[in-house]
Formats: sequence, structure tokens, C-alpha cells
Amino acid sequence: MSAPAGQDQGGAPLLDVHGLTVEYATGRGNLRAVDGASFAIAPGRALGIVGESGSGKSTVAMTLLDLLGPEAGMSAERFTFEGEDLLDPVAARRKALRGHRIAMVFQDPGSALNPAIQVGRQIAEPLIRHRGMTQTQAAARVQELLAEVGIPRPADVAAAYPHQLSGGMKQRALIATALGCEPRLMVLDEPTTALDVTIEAQILDLLEQLRGKHDLSILFVSHNLGVIERVCDDVCVLYAGRVVEQGAAAQVFAAPAHPYTRGLLGSLPRPSAQRLSRLTPIPGRLPDLTRAPAGCIFAERCEHAEAGCGKPQEPRALADGRTVRCWKAEAIAAGAPPTQAMAEAPPDAGPAAAGAPGTTDAGALIAVDAVGKTFRLGGMLAGLRFDFSGGFPLRTDPPKVRAVDGVSLRVRPGEVVGLVGESGCGKSTLGRLILRLIEPSDGRIAIDGHDVTGASVAALRPVRRLAQMVFQNPDSSLNPRQTIGQIVRRPLELFGIARGAEAQAKVVELLGMVRLAPEYAQRYPHQLSGGEKQRVSIARALATSPKFIVLDEATSALDVSVQAAILNLLADLRDRLGVAYLLISHDLSVIAHLADRVAVMYRGAVVEEGPSAQVLAPPYHPYTEALLSAVPVVGLKDRAAQRVRLKGALIGGGAVRGCRFADRCPRRIGPICDTETPPVVEPAPGHRIACHLPLEALRAVPPVFGAAAPHA
Amino acid sequence: MIGYLIQRLLTVAGILVVMSLLVFGITQVMPGSVAHMILGEFATNDQIAALEQTLGLNDPWHVQYWRWASGFLVGDFGQSLTMQRPIAPLILDALGRSAALAGLSFGFVAVIGLWLGILGAVKAGRFTDHALAIGQYFFIAVPEFFWCIVLIMLFATTLGWLPATGYAPMSDGFWRWLSHMVLPVGTLVTGLIAHVSRLTRSAMLEVLQSTYVSAARAKGLPERTVLWRHALPNALLPAITVLAVDVGILFGGIVVVEVVFAYPGLGRMIVYAIENKDLPLMQAGVLIVTAIYTMANLVADLLYAWANPRIRYGRSVA
Ligand code: SF4
Ligand code: SF4
Repeated sequence: MSAPAGQDQGGAPLLDVHGLTVEYATGRGNLRAVDGASFAIAPGRALGIVGESGSGKSTVAMTLLDLLGPEAGMSAERFTFEGEDLLDPVAARRKALRGHRIAMVFQDPGSALNPAIQVGRQIAEPLIRHRGMTQTQAAARVQELLAEVGIPRPADVAAAYPHQLSGGMKQRALIATALGCEPRLMVLDEPTTALDVTIEAQILDLLEQLRGKHDLSILFVSHNLGVIERVCDDVCVLYAGRVVEQGAAAQVFAAPAHPYTRGLLGSLPRPSAQRLSRLTPIPGRLPDLTRAPAGCIFAERCEHAEAGCGKPQEPRALADGRTVRCWKAEAIAAGAPPTQAMAEAPPDAGPAAAGAPGTTDAGALIAVDAVGKTFRLGGMLAGLRFDFSGGFPLRTDPPKVRAVDGVSLRVRPGEVVGLVGESGCGKSTLGRLILRLIEPSDGRIAIDGHDVTGASVAALRPVRRLAQMVFQNPDSSLNPRQTIGQIVRRPLELFGIARGAEAQAKVVELLGMVRLAPEYAQRYPHQLSGGEKQRVSIARALATSPKFIVLDEATSALDVSVQAAILNLLADLRDRLGVAYLLISHDLSVIAHLADRVAVMYRGAVVEEGPSAQVLAPPYHPYTEALLSAVPVVGLKDRAAQRVRLKGALIGGGAVRGCRFADRCPRRIGPICDTETPPVVEPAPGHRIACHLPLEALRAVPPVFGAAAPHA
Repeated sequence: MIGYLIQRLLTVAGILVVMSLLVFGITQVMPGSVAHMILGEFATNDQIAALEQTLGLNDPWHVQYWRWASGFLVGDFGQSLTMQRPIAPLILDALGRSAALAGLSFGFVAVIGLWLGILGAVKAGRFTDHALAIGQYFFIAVPEFFWCIVLIMLFATTLGWLPATGYAPMSDGFWRWLSHMVLPVGTLVTGLIAHVSRLTRSAMLEVLQSTYVSAARAKGLPERTVLWRHALPNALLPAITVLAVDVGILFGGIVVVEVVFAYPGLGRMIVYAIENKDLPLMQAGVLIVTAIYTMANLVADLLYAWANPRIRYGRSVA
């Protein structure tokens, strides 16, 4: 590679890596996790490394500080940091940079802090080690750092143990740790993936602010294209351990030149454009990296592949300064960008978008009325309180959580209702309540006209046939000791639908519906990829010919290119079989893509609901507006100016007085929000918003996705 | 924390009551009456009846139970039938000797077991680890009594370095005391050390693969600090639970070892009581062992709670 992207701006690069290769010895030969990756970061720039699982992106990040175990064999042609050659002897030199000149922030803040040590002491460690501070000096500096990363009450947080902090607070504390010794380069490995979008937005804002203030360079690893576009100046797209495209982020995202980059962008559902035509998933799966093909590594999955692709592809500089590993790059970049191809679809396609409000009971498949669920926490004795203030010292007062609080919802036949909200808002609990996997504490639930609220197990049986569920993690919901055939067949036999040869034929038919070949019936779950496993879960759910399926974060664990295929499949099944879905997701883009109607949940209650097009455009509930503002969407980076931000995090539990969103609401009116339950306003039939703000004020809010949004 | 403590203490009390009922019940269903045993086989029926009357053996069972159990609460364990002496001092002496055996063994198991476990985890996949693993599996698989015999044959019979059996009090000199301890302790600890080190190794390995250990390394902390400050405390939590379970195994082992080495401890005394149908002695012995075992578990639970910040500090800060 002649000119790494970072080198063009501002002289000598801070970090310059050329030909980085990481290999693992496996029983089947050498596995090349990273193959000849080259990149550079100029001072003050942010480089994003984007890729799906198995791309080797985290491996690259770990190599910089030599955090891979001794089993990883690493080599490079050039590896310099601030002009210092780190190749000789490589590990010792890179170890010496750890924590002060290069600092790292890990993916899951929940596991990156040591549970047995106070947060403040963990932040102080590098200060004591690299800056020679005493305990007291370090403790004072820790408070400053915590205040700088926006933590209120730094003293309390410093004295706390990690489990006492929320995810966002932990990530802030980890960023404070990384900042401590004023490093030149900060490596962030999926720093916001484990967080809710609103918290993610806070952390990204924080990073932006710190970067400017400390002249930090950033290496940002993520699978999320939207996040990368928001944070990074340059981007490296990694596929199967190779950098397939590299260049300025704006260029790469606007006119991707490598078919894989195009595929990624085409797979991406967007909240700004709901119910559009189909996504374009990338077919096939990652090649076996122990036997990588000699030619283009992407050839097997590439729609542009031809004979010339059998030759090894080297990174090639394009005229605009990008480097691409594809000999047809110019021709491909000249084609229409995948984003625009999607926007041509009519905005309100779909049967229900123009439909009647979903409140009337007539024809409702699922009718949920004022359903609530209160959980008691802890074991039998958890509620014991010792109160010596007088009388008998023992009281029992079991801690309670009101997970779902008086929710009413309708799902009509063939309709997709999206349920969105941050973690802990009660959306999964609601899904389980509807299927009676857990008992509601109050309210009424009817499925296809049968009241199931107090129904016995026997009475539930016919209803169970009608309503099925697909869970987030197929690994835990598919029995690893059964073949796919047995798994899909089980509900057939359980409900007496088919037996013997008939069941056999039905299994093949069901596998066909989810686009799996009949041979899959003989395989075991561990032989399947994540996407294939989720197809099996869907096939199993379809076995009883249900009218309704609850999809609980069913695509959240999948890579975007695989998720796109599953979303397409779900859309097809809805159209062909007329199944209704309750689509539970934290991802507004997924919801927007598939749902006819959307319900937004906050702290156990629905704060806004209505047809997707109306929920995704003003008037918004302030919470919906904040959620939409928080989602990083590729191609809509410029809307940063009008973003609203939520402070703090969702705190569940407890009784609610006034508006349940009042403590975080950016548009809070005043005391009325704390004391009075907000009224429900209906800007359009079937579109309901629970807020004290007058409708005119809500209508006056500019659309989050700007004029570009189809429903502005 | 206080609530937790009270909750645990209540449980312990409950277990002890149930155990005492069980132990008491055994004497009720065992063949032959206590009076019969005291008077010997040539006693007449009248003599037996008279003695049963004086001992209160004709009272309803709950009266007898209460008399027996309340004695325990004030330290009166009754009279030994075969030795014609009060049980409390007998048991106290034997308990002291057993405690020396158990304490010494437990100390070795905890220190050496944990240390070998950490060593195995740090050197995972290398020669040291493999060599340790072979030794550990071997010692786990072979039962204690085998080591009794091997050790006695080697050190006592063949080499003549150590006494084969018996006990010498500390007043006979420390070295003499110690020479009698070596073989029993050696027998007891081998299997347990292997067990504890195996489990510590896997706990430690898991911790070493955690993100917070990577994070500690990424901070530039020396490997020593990473290991002792970041990894070990978290690996010790599961080890505490294992050690508590091993106390039970240790007690079982002590009975065997005391009998084989003719070591005058509590285990041997209980075996003696059973063989000679000395019911009061047996009851007292078994109850004491149960009490100690429950207390050991209580201590382990409290230690666990104390070492685990999640239990120690529940409330959230932000
Ligand atoms: S080289 Fe050929 S197969 Fe590879 S990405 Fe380019 S067009 Fe596709
Ligand atoms: S009622 Fe008040 S606090 Fe609640 S969403 Fe409306 S403006 Fe915000």
C-alpha cells in the first residue's frame, strides 16, 4: 500500500502498521486471523475498523498492546508508534506503551472492571504505576478524571464497587482510566455495543469532546457502521482478516467501492426509511481461514465475481486516495450506491400503514388490556427486615419491581407490531406475558378471542398452537443433542399435527420455508451458523401454523449481513402466511424496517404508539424523539446539530407518579410532569402520545431525520 | 449483612436440632436397652426394670430427648457406659487431638492446594501444568487407606524413621509429637490437595481469561500485580466454597486415619463407642462432629459473603 489514509493529513503518522499478520496454530493448520493489514493514524485523527464477527477487527486492536496470548503468532513489516520501531523485540516494546502512551477501552464495561476492587482504586492504578503518584495524589486525580468524563458525585463513584454502577457509568469510569496518563492514542474495542442507544449517544458525545480537548488519536473498532461514521475520519473495512477497503469515512460510506462494503451498507435497515423494499443481504458465510482461497477472499459471496477474481487481490490505490482490494473497484464504485437504491421504494408500503387504528377489539388477534406485572425480588427470606424501632423487630417487605404497568395493546391478523425501548423498559416481559409464559399480576389478555388470563394449562393448549415465540439466542433455545429434524418435528408431534412420514415431509417443507435445504434435518445445531440456527428457531415456531409469533430480539445477536436475510425472510413469511408478529427489539432501525405499527415503551408503560410512519415523524413523544436522535444512522451524520440528548439512565422499579419519563425528559414542562399522570393525545386516529405538552408544541418539533426523511 | 447473619444462624440452629433428633432416634431403634448393656448379659429382668426406672428409660421419648438435649446445652454429655466416666472431658481430650490433626491438614490443603492451583493456571498448557495434572488425577483417584498402608510400610517398617501408630502429647517434646503427626497428616492431605488444586486451577484459568484481567494488563500493570491483585481474589471466591465442602471429606478421612494409625482422636472414639455399644458416648461424638461441620460451613459462607462485594455492598450508587 503506497499511502495509508492517515498519512495524507498532517505529516508523520502517530501509529504506522504495515503488513500485520496474526496466525493461530490449530489442529487443521494455521488459521490466519489477520492477513497483511496495513493502516496508519495521524495525530488527532480517528480511524475506524469495521467488520462483522470473524473479521479479525478485535484481534487487530489487541495486537497493538500485545494483549493476545502466547498462542497468537504475530508479525509485521513495519510497526511504529511516534516514530519508535516496535518490531524489535516486538512484545516488550509494545508492553511498555500499555496504559500511558496507548490506552484501551474494552467492549463490555460490565466485565472490564474488576468486581472485587473499588472503582477509584482501579482508575488510580496506572497513575501510580506510570506517573509515580502516591495513593493520595492519585485519589485526588481520580476525582478530577471522573468529573471530566461527566460523572456526578465522583467521590461516591470512586468508592463504589463496579456492580453498584450502571453500564454507562462503568464505561465512563473506564474511559477515565484510559485518560488518566494522557495517552496519545486511545484504542476502543466496541465501546458502546453493550449499551443502550441513548447511553451510547452520551458516550460518543463524551469521546468527541475529549478528543478535541486532549488532541487524542483514536482507533475505534466496531461492527456498527453508523457509530463508525459518527466518530471516525478514516475507516478500514475488514473482511476475513483482510482490509478490503480503506479511506476517508465520508467517501467510503457515500460511494463504497468494494462489493463487501456495498453489501454491508445494503444490509443495513434504517429508521429513516421504514418498510422499504427488501434489504440486500450478503449470501454465504465467511471462508474457512485455515484454507483461505488463493484468489479474492470475498469471491464466494460476491455478486460481481468473474474469472479474473481467481487471482490474488492486493490492496490498490484508487484515484481518490482510497485503497481497495478488488480489481473491479472503479467500475463498482461508479454504480449506484446501495443506499439510494433503497430509498426509491414507496414510503408507506404495506397493508396496515394506512389502516384503521388498532384499538377496536373487532378483529384483534391479540388483545391486551391494562396488563401489569409485579415481580418480587429475592428468595423466601429476602424480604426480612430488622427494624428495632419498636414492637416486634421482624417485618417482611419484599422488594418489588413493577416491570409492566397497565399496558394495552392490539395486534391484528397479519400485522407486525414493533415494541421498542431501552433495556429494562419491560418489553420482553410484556412479550412473555402475552404468551402466558409468565402470569400477569393484573389486566386481561385474549388471544384470538380466547381469554387466556386465568386459563389452565389444558385450556392454554389450543392457544399455544396459535401463538409461538422466537428468542434472541438460538444457542440456548435449541437443544444441542437433537438434530434439526428432531427439533422442528417436536411441536408437530406435541400438538398431534403430524406423525411418521407425514411429519418427515412437513419438516422438509418447514425447512424450505426458512430457505434451508432438506439435508439440514440431519445436522446438529453446533454445525450451523448463527443465522442458520435462527432460521431453525423460526421453522420450529412455524411448525404449528401459528397466527402470531413473538420475536424477542430475534436478530440482535446476528451480524448485519445475516440479520438482513432474516428480516427479509420474516417479511416474506408475513406476506405469504399472514402471520402477525410482535417484534421486540432495542433497535429502532429493525423495528422501522418491518413493523406496521410501533409501540414505544418506557419504564413498563407504552408512552407512544401508532402506525410506524407516524411514530417515526413528528409529532413525537419526547422519549421517542430522544431515541431516534440517539441512533447513529449511516448517511445522516449531519443531523448532529439538532440532536436531543437524554441524561442519566433508565431506572426501573418503584411506583410512578406523574410522567414516568419526567426525570430524564429534555422537554419537561415543570412540576406538572412530576405530579400529574400525562393525558393521552391523539394527533391522528390510532396514533397516541402520553404527554402533557400541547399537541401544537409536539408538532412544532423538527423531524429527527431532517428533510431527507420520507415522512417529514 | 446483619439480616444475612441472623438468617444463617437460624439455619444452623435448625440443622443441629434435626441432627440431634436423628442421633437420639438411633438409640431408640437400636436393639437392646441401655440398662441391659450396663448390667451385662447375666442380669435378671427385675434388675433391668429397676435400672430402667432410675435412668428414666420408661418416660415418653420427648421427655427423654429433652433431658438428653438440655444436658448438652449446659455441657453435661452424660456418662460413658463402658468407661464409667463423664463423657464431656473424654470428648474434649479426643477433640483436641483430632483438631490438631484436622487443623494441620487443613492448613496444608489450603496453602499447598491453592498455590499449586495457581501455578497450574499460570503455566496452563505447559510442562509444569501437565505434570501437575497427572499427579493430581493420581492422588484424587487413589483412596486414603492405600496411602496409610504405603506410608506405614515405607517410613515405619522399612526405613524406621517414624512411628507406625500412636500419639505422643506435646509435653513429651515437640519433635516426638510431630513424628506421630507426619504420617496421619500426610495421608489425609494428598487427595484433598489434589482436589483443591484442580478446582483452584480452573477457577483461576477462568479469571485469567476475563476481560478485566486483559484490562489490567492494558493498563500496563506488571504481571505480578495482575495476578495477585486482579486475578487471585476473584479466583478465591469459588475456592472458599470448595474448601468448605472439603472439610466434610476431611472429617470422613480423619475417622479412617485415626483408626489405622491408632490415633486417639474423636473419630476413633466414635468407632470405639459403636463397637462397644456405648450409646451415650456415640451420641455425643456424632453430635459434636455435626456441630463442627455445620459451623465450618457457616464460616465459609460468611467468608464468602465478606469477600464478595456484591453481597457486602448491595445498594447501587449511579
Ligand atoms: S475481486 Fe472479484 S470477487 Fe473479489 S470483490 Fe472484486 S469483484 Fe468481487
Ligand atoms: S409529560 Fe412532561 S416529562 Fe413527560 S414526556 Fe411530556 S413533557 Fe416530558
